[in-house]
Amino acid sequence: MLEFFHTLLFSTLEAAPPLVFAAVGASLCERAGVVNVGVEGMMRAGAFAAAAAALVMPTPLGVVVGALAGASLAAVHGLLCIRLRSDQVVSGMALNLVMLALGTFLLEAVFHSSSGSTPITQLSRLSLGSIDAVPLLGALFNHSALTYLAVLAPLLAHWALKHTRWGLRVRAVGEQPQAVAAVGIPVGTLRFSAVLLSGALAGVGGAVLSTATLDHFEHHMPSGLGFMAVAAMVFGRWTPLGAAGAATFFALADSLRIGLASSAPSLAQLVPGGVQLALPYALTLLVLAVQGQRGGAPAALGQSFDLERR
Amino acid sequence: MKNRLLAIAPSVLAVALAMLLGFVVVALTKGVSEAAGAFASMFAGAFGEPSRVDELGVFAFLRPWGESATKATLLTLTGLSVAVAFRVGLFNIGAQGQLVVGALVAALAGAHLALPAGLHAVVALGLAAVAGGAWASLAAWLKVRRGVHEVISTIMLNWVALRLVEGWLVPGPARAQVEGNNSINGTDQVLPGAELPNLFGESSRLNAGFLLAVGVALALLFFLQRSVRGFEWKVAGLNPHAAKAAGVPLERTVVQAMAVAGACAGLAGAVLVLGTEHRYPGTISAPWGFDGIAMALLGQGHPLGVLASAVWFGALRAGGTRLQLAGIHKSFPELIQGVALVLVAARAAWERLLARAVRRA
Repeated sequence: MLEFFHTLLFSTLEAAPPLVFAAVGASLCERAGVVNVGVEGMMRAGAFAAAAAALVMPTPLGVVVGALAGASLAAVHGLLCIRLRSDQVVSGMALNLVMLALGTFLLEAVFHSSSGSTPITQLSRLSLGSIDAVPLLGALFNHSALTYLAVLAPLLAHWALKHTRWGLRVRAVGEQPQAVAAVGIPVGTLRFSAVLLSGALAGVGGAVLSTATLDHFEHHMPSGLGFMAVAAMVFGRWTPLGAAGAATFFALADSLRIGLASSAPSLAQLVPGGVQLALPYALTLLVLAVQGQRGGAPAALGQSFDLERR
Repeated sequence: MKNRLLAIAPSVLAVALAMLLGFVVVALTKGVSEAAGAFASMFAGAFGEPSRVDELGVFAFLRPWGESATKATLLTLTGLSVAVAFRVGLFNIGAQGQLVVGALVAALAGAHLALPAGLHAVVALGLAAVAGGAWASLAAWLKVRRGVHEVISTIMLNWVALRLVEGWLVPGPARAQVEGNNSINGTDQVLPGAELPNLFGESSRLNAGFLLAVGVALALLFFLQRSVRGFEWKVAGLNPHAAKAAGVPLERTVVQAMAVAGACAGLAGAVLVLGTEHRYPGTISAPWGFDGIAMALLGQGHPLGVLASAVWFGALRAGGTRLQLAGIHKSFPELIQGVALVLVAARAAWERLLARAVRRA
């Protein structure tokens, strides 16, 4: 039994970081009033760029490149949504479609493969030797540094939103952009900063997949995790801590599903795997249906800001 | 006329520019002559090969066009799904999920109902449309009754449908029952009487689904442009407050439009199953429903615009398989499509530039 929980804790800490980074990033973006359904594409950009960069530089630097790739895609999103006032959902979905095809194209063009990139040195894992074997406590170790960063990221994001001037302003442009503009703060620049940060976090989330979870980019990455991150953000009521909590919960549920399938197959068969896989999304829908209304979404979410309009 | 041309200009320019960008990318990675060769073979695979008429006869055109139209069929139906929802101001991101649900229902109805040939196909199509519509109506209900934004609910419903169908039903209860053979993925084969007939016999996979897609596009065109209800939808989409003041039942409009949108996507799934796959395969690997978003936007929400962009990108995709020979992944046309969509999303910039150019002219 203890061993079961040890494995569960360990695999949750492995599965959660990509979702946590992406969901926290999405919450920052949407808090600033910009819808981000392009998380999937930004994660894909990060996963590919990190795996490709890690071939020619140390893997940790590769992760930074992954973050930059996510931020670059976010810059396009910002340009479209903020400067050109395009529809934010259209922009996000367009970037998803571009990255879906571009990832496959680059995989073929750079690695001459349609399945995966050349293996790289995986991120090293923090091991404390004999402590790793201690039940439960040991499960906290032997993860890559990104797992520990994923614990810090939501706390930092929460602090930044709640206790810094930038955070107050970001929350304000998500609720009342006209009021922010009225006191002379540039709405577009503020929103852009949140969008870029969101893209960088999604990029790191993708990089976790290709540098820590695996040692290469797989053609289907991130296979829907970006959308699950959006679900987690909604579930977490558009706050960094809530988003991270929901993301961890989803990761835990997934680890539990895999754990039960191997350790207690008869128990796992009670609920078919596909039904369990559908649960995070169904639960998010259920919570929204019960909460009703906008479920805590920022008031100006999805509206492009036009100084001349009220 | 000039206004119409001006209206479609941003889409046409976006597609043209996306093609040009695609060419430049290939030329930079592979060289100009290789890029030219790759594009030539893509167009040959899409539109036919005049140089091989002596050798292949009419098949030099029939086969590429058949393949192009087969792909265009699915793009048209999912594109219409998104476009119909757009008309009332809703963003249907859920076409993929509605397609999956429709495809499964069509596969089960096609394999397990006992009906006369022909009627069987019609019933299977009808059931798939109803299933797709019902799935989409969940999002409409959540919006109308609980105020949940349809973008979020349709994203969630996509994944619920995908996981339930491809993670549970297809590999589980609905899996093909073949004695002593566990190697088959997917559901039972649909009965011959439920298959959509091929239009050109054995020479092409093109089936009656294409005629259905064109028919649906024309029917929607008539409905949206000429009927009272269609006008109500348009008003509801353009200005809900004005529509409400004029007595348009907004909630009913949302539910109806979403149901029709889901039905279109459900039909796309049915055509995929009854027309070419003849069963629900292990997975539907292509994101037809998401492509529908691109079709709807490139077609500017107009049924004929959707049809036109679906035919164009269906053709490019059919030709895309030829790119593999040049060492370019066959998803390259999808990259062009994505870039075109980004450029259309930046329409504001286009329109400003165009307006300036027109003023000068």
